[in-house]
Amino acid sequence: MSSRKRSWPAGAFRRMGLNLRALGQGIREGLTPMLGKEMRSRTRGWRSPVLLSAYLLILSAGVSLSLWLMLEQANIINPQIGLSLYGFFVLTLVMLVAFIAPAIAAGSISGERERRTYDLLMVTKASPLGIVLGKWLASVAYLIFLMMAALPVFAIVFLFGGVPPATLGMALLVATATGMGYGALGLLFSALLRRTQLATITSLILIFIFIFGTLAAGVVASSVAGPPPYGRYGPEFGPPPAAPWYVYLSPLTALGSVLPGGNINYMMGQGVPLLGSILRELLQHLFQGGIEYAYKMGYAYPGINVPQPTGLAAWEPWARFTLYQGILIIACLLLAVLSITPVKPWTAYLLRRRLRRQAVREASNFEAGG
Amino acid sequence: MITVCGLEKNYGRVKALRGINMHVPEKAVYGFIGQNGAGKTTTLRILAGLLLPSAGEARIAGYDILRQPREIRDVIGYMPDFFGVYDDLRAGEYLEFYAAAYGIRGKAARELRDYLLELVDLSDKRDAFVDTLSRGMQQRLCLARALIHDPQVLLLDEPASGLDPLARVEMRELLKELCHLGKTIVISSHILSELADLCTHIGMVAEGRVIREGPLNEVLASSQERKISLRCLGPVEAAVEILESWPGAKILNRAGQQVEFSLSDGPEEAAALLRALAASEAEVVHFAETERSLEDTFLKLAREAQVS
Repeated sequence: MSSRKRSWPAGAFRRMGLNLRALGQGIREGLTPMLGKEMRSRTRGWRSPVLLSAYLLILSAGVSLSLWLMLEQANIINPQIGLSLYGFFVLTLVMLVAFIAPAIAAGSISGERERRTYDLLMVTKASPLGIVLGKWLASVAYLIFLMMAALPVFAIVFLFGGVPPATLGMALLVATATGMGYGALGLLFSALLRRTQLATITSLILIFIFIFGTLAAGVVASSVAGPPPYGRYGPEFGPPPAAPWYVYLSPLTALGSVLPGGNINYMMGQGVPLLGSILRELLQHLFQGGIEYAYKMGYAYPGINVPQPTGLAAWEPWARFTLYQGILIIACLLLAVLSITPVKPWTAYLLRRRLRRQAVREASNFEAGG
Repeated sequence: MITVCGLEKNYGRVKALRGINMHVPEKAVYGFIGQNGAGKTTTLRILAGLLLPSAGEARIAGYDILRQPREIRDVIGYMPDFFGVYDDLRAGEYLEFYAAAYGIRGKAARELRDYLLELVDLSDKRDAFVDTLSRGMQQRLCLARALIHDPQVLLLDEPASGLDPLARVEMRELLKELCHLGKTIVISSHILSELADLCTHIGMVAEGRVIREGPLNEVLASSQERKISLRCLGPVEAAVEILESWPGAKILNRAGQQVEFSLSDGPEEAAALLRALAASEAEVVHFAETERSLEDTFLKLAREAQVS
């Protein structure tokens, strides 16, 4: 009885055609060597140091320029300076990660096809899932390495102070989620499109749409719907209109909760030149000038017991963005696995079924003839 | 060791394989011969689990290619006709990477790496980047990679393509060594002479079908057409006259006192022809069947296949 109990999950999965042990072995034999090889390859040659140097140069130059502009304008050391610098830094980091991640991942599978090493890999015992996971984790590891390399630039922010470590942690979480999700997207196109250049361009276009297109679409949608008439806020009118779900696909929305000023409000992105102002305008439009936030926090109507939003509506933008990135990662990786599997399980199943039926038909014909 | 039955593969309306049947005994070196586009690579890719057939069955070492793909990967080592290498890895690292992909790690992987590099005569290139190796060396390294999990069966698709004559000879010697190790080897090639002194068995494929298969000697002997060389002491006109009137005989070459002709029937007919020549005025001093090459046999069978 006990042995039956112990073998229950494996037995049940085997009946469904899944051998858990083989699955685990396949993942391990794909993931471990692939991760090792990719990390080794990435740190070799001239490309890696050049990319790292360019990335740090852009980041440092941006932060230095921003700091110089702020000091020039103010003539005094403003207590807001740390926050503004932090805002600029986080925004630049997320943008860099968002566009570097697919560029790193987009060559990983198409590169195998272009180099003609794909077949050699597919005849080994490494499973497509293991290979995809190995490739993806290698690109994520490289991204995390890039973010770690940028941390010393963050130190300038702490020179001025004013940024709680939890906010910084959230910003890094948003940047990591951005890199992981868009890396998975790049990997998927790398598996689907076979050519690295095409995969890179397609994923960059899609990511551009994810980052800016979703916000623009949200703004257009809320403009079409129009704002609620003046004074029609209150418990009797229900909660203010929520921003459409797809605006949470953009890391910029997520930054709304980690940029200076706390949550999405008029302070959002302050100090971030140009992009910060555009971002602030967009988000204020989407989130009805902070009404939704005030409502959510329960101080829109002090003293009146209003129903709080539930479900996803109650999630902070960064948490909702992270959730969506998680879904994006799983979907992209699974599709990539299916795309690189040389013999698709369902076509093999259909062929087996056809051959079985053919054999039965032939046997019955033989019996009828005999 | 390998049994293939009625294997078909369609790419849309194009029929790449029209029912391949083959039987490769254990420890055989099976030459898979055919022109470009005959279906050799498609068959090998199906056996390697990289393609799904449209119909038919195949078993390797008792494992069904459709039902037991994982077990199949354990028993085969595959080397494609065109392959690339990871240019940022060293030869030793390259082998270790594939060893890990077969679940071999640590000391065992390092020992295996050294053994295989020695086997393919690349020990001194262990720390060289793979892209700095010559084509022949890369080919040998790829063969070492195919051997990394000690497979029973090797599927080699045109292993000598693109190699210079010296590298070809080295590859042939290496394959002979593998035969001694008791591997069952399937080698595809369109250069027939390459396989003649290597193979124990042969499968000739044309237009998606195996047109002749079996032990090399049997396949060669099974071809009814004989090529006979004849030399006379004096003028050959008398002999030529008889040959021209002999049913089934066809003169192929005539130079000085020597005539080369083909005879479509069996040895009895050759004996009858020799009797007729001896009884004539022709002073025959040499009458011998020339050794049929694999090339001749293949061309004849391929022509027959096309006609049918």
